[in-house]
Amino acid sequence: MRFELFIAARYLRAKRRQAVVGIITAISVAGVAVGVASLILALAITNGTRHDLQDRLLASTAHVDLMRTMNDGIRNWRPLTERLRRLPHVTAAAPGLYEPVLISHGAQAGGAMLKGIIPSEERTVSDLLSNLAEGSAAPLSAQANAEDGTSEPTPPLVIGYDLANTLGVKAGDTVMVTSPQGELTPYGLVPKYQRFQVTGIFHSGFYQYDSGYGFIRLTDAQKLFSEPDLVSVISFKVDDLYHADRIGREIEQAAGAGFSTTNWMEQNRELFRALKEEQVVTFIVIGLIVCVAALNILIALTMMVMEKTKDIAVLLSMGVQPGQVRRIFLLQGFLISVIGTAIGLVVGYTLAWAGHHYRFIHLAADVYSLDYLPFAPRLIHGVIVTAVSLGVSLLATLYPSSSAAKVLPAEALRYE
Amino acid sequence: MGMVSASDDFPGRPDSAGLRPSAFPEHPYVIQVRNLRKEYVTGRGRLVLFDGLSFDLAQGEMLAIVGQSGAGKSTLLHMLGALDAPSEGDVYCASIQLRTLNSRQAAAFRNREVGYVWQFHYLLPEFTALENVAMPLLARGEPKAKAFRSAEQWLNEVELGDRVTHRAGELSGGEQQRVSLARALVTGPKVLLADEPTGDLDSRTAEMVFSLIERLHQTHCLTSVIVTHNMMLAQRCSRVLRLEKGRVDEVSPRTLQ
Repeated sequence: MRFELFIAARYLRAKRRQAVVGIITAISVAGVAVGVASLILALAITNGTRHDLQDRLLASTAHVDLMRTMNDGIRNWRPLTERLRRLPHVTAAAPGLYEPVLISHGAQAGGAMLKGIIPSEERTVSDLLSNLAEGSAAPLSAQANAEDGTSEPTPPLVIGYDLANTLGVKAGDTVMVTSPQGELTPYGLVPKYQRFQVTGIFHSGFYQYDSGYGFIRLTDAQKLFSEPDLVSVISFKVDDLYHADRIGREIEQAAGAGFSTTNWMEQNRELFRALKEEQVVTFIVIGLIVCVAALNILIALTMMVMEKTKDIAVLLSMGVQPGQVRRIFLLQGFLISVIGTAIGLVVGYTLAWAGHHYRFIHLAADVYSLDYLPFAPRLIHGVIVTAVSLGVSLLATLYPSSSAAKVLPAEALRYE
Repeated sequence: MGMVSASDDFPGRPDSAGLRPSAFPEHPYVIQVRNLRKEYVTGRGRLVLFDGLSFDLAQGEMLAIVGQSGAGKSTLLHMLGALDAPSEGDVYCASIQLRTLNSRQAAAFRNREVGYVWQFHYLLPEFTALENVAMPLLARGEPKAKAFRSAEQWLNEVELGDRVTHRAGELSGGEQQRVSLARALVTGPKVLLADEPTGDLDSRTAEMVFSLIERLHQTHCLTSVIVTHNMMLAQRCSRVLRLEKGRVDEVSPRTLQ
C-alpha cells in the first residue's frame, strides 16, 4: 500500500496539466469539508435543542411517578414516601394530589389540573415553583406550616403563565376554583368550590404546564377534593435519569401490590421521538451536501484518470498490477475525502464549541423560551459523520478507479 | 497486496515447480516466437498485421525490427512484453509461455523479465528522475531506501548522477530518454524492448542514446529487441527482421539501406 499511497499523494499535490482537474479537486475537498462541518453543526444544534428541552422538561417534572393501579389514591402515604425515599438510586420523593378543576375569574374560565403539594418536598422533584414570572410561591410554604392554614378564606394558588393570561389574572387576584368532586346533597351532586388567591405565576416554557397547571397546598387539595389524608401520586427524582424505567420498576416492587409507575421517558415518548426524527431528517438533508461533494470527487477522479491514461499505461508496462492502479485512485479519492472530512470536523467542532461558549446566535426568548441557539456537539456524531463522509466518498471512487485499472497499455500507448 | 514478489510463479516456465512445462524445455533462446498471428477486426473486415511469424532470439542478441509504419512492429514488441496478446501462436519470453499468464502474472512478468523504452520518454512528470527510475522497484514492494539506492546507481550508469532530483520537465530530450533507459533496466531484466528509442531525438542525441543502449546491452548481457526506422542504427544490431505487408523476413544487417 505504501507504493500506492506514494503515487496517490504525489498526484494529489502535483500541479495539474489540466487546471480544471485541480480546481475540481479543490472544490471536492471544500465540498466534503462544508458538508461535514454543516452536519456537525446541525447535529450539535439539534442535540443542543434536545438537551435544553430535556433539561427544562426534567426540571419541571419528576423522573418517576408512583400511582395506584386502580387509581384509588395512596393511603398511608407518609410512611410509604419515607420508605421509598431511602431506596437506592432515589434522590428525592414528594407526594401530590392531582385533580382536574375549573378556574374562573370574572367572565373568564379555564380548565386546569390542580396539584396539591407540600412545597418543601415538591421543590426537590420539580423546579416549576422556582420559575416564577410574577408574585411568590412562599405563601404556599408559609401557610402550610400553619396548623389552621386551611381555614384561610382564600388559600394561596400558583398557576401557569398562559393560564393566568387566559383568565386575565395577576398575582394578588382572587379566582374561583370549582371541583367536579362535589358533595352529595338532597338536591343531587353539587360541585365544590373555593376561592383562592393567586400568589404567584410560574413560567416553565412548556405550554402544557404553563397553560394547564396550578399548585395549592396538599391540605387544601385534600379538603377541596374531599380526599382526606390521601395522595394520588408520589413523585421521585433518581440519580440516573436514563435508567428511570429500571429504577421505576424497583420502586414499584418496593411499594408492593397495586402500584404502578410511569417515568419521564414514557410520558414524553412522542416528543423525543419527534426530536429524534427531526435529527435524522436534518442529517439526511444536510448529508446531501456530502453526496454532492462525492459527485465532485467522482468527476475529479474521472478527469484525472483520463488525463493520466498514458501514465497508467506506462505504470502497467513496468509491471504495476492493475489492482495497484485501482488502489492508487481509490486512495486519491480517499485522501480528498480524508482531508475534506478533517477540515470539516475541525471547522464544525470549533464553530459548535464557539457557539456553545459565546452564544453568538441569539433567539427571541419570548418565542423559543431561550435567548440563544444551543450547541451540544457529541463525539459520536463526529464518528458517524466521518464514517458516512468516507463511505460515500469511497463509493464515488469505485468507478474511476475501476476504469483506471482497466486501461489497456497497448491501446493507450499505440495512439500517441 | 498485489506487489510483484520473487515468489510469483509463471505458468509455462520450465523451472517453476508444478507449472505447465514449456514446449521448449532445454533451449538457449531467451525469446521464441511460434506461428504468431495478429489481426484486428475493423469496420471493413479483418486486418491481418502478420501471420505465421516465427523466430528465436538467443541471449545477447540484439534484434532490430524494421518496416513501414503500420506494419505491426510496435504490436509485435507489445506481444513480446505481454502488453498485448496474439490472435494465434505463442510467445515464449525468458522461458515463460506468455499466453498462459493472467493479468497479475503478466504484470509480474513485465516487472521482472522485461524493460521497456518508448519513443517518448513517458517519465511521470510529478516525480523526480530518481523516483521515476525507482518506480518499478517500489511497485514490487522494495523498501524505498533500497529502491532509491539502486535507482541512483542506474542514474550514475547512464551518467545522470547529478540529475537525480530533477523532474522530467527539467531534463533535455536525451537525458529524459537516458532516465527512461535506467528505469527499464533497474529491475535487472533479461530482455530490453525498445520502441523507436531515438525516434524523437536529433541525430547527435540519437547516436549518443543508441551507443548507450549498445553499451548497456553488452555490459548487462541483455537480449534486446529494437523497433526502429533508422537503418543506420538497425545495421548495428546483430539481426534484423523486416515486417512488410503481412510478410516477415529476416535480413542481413549489412544489406540494409
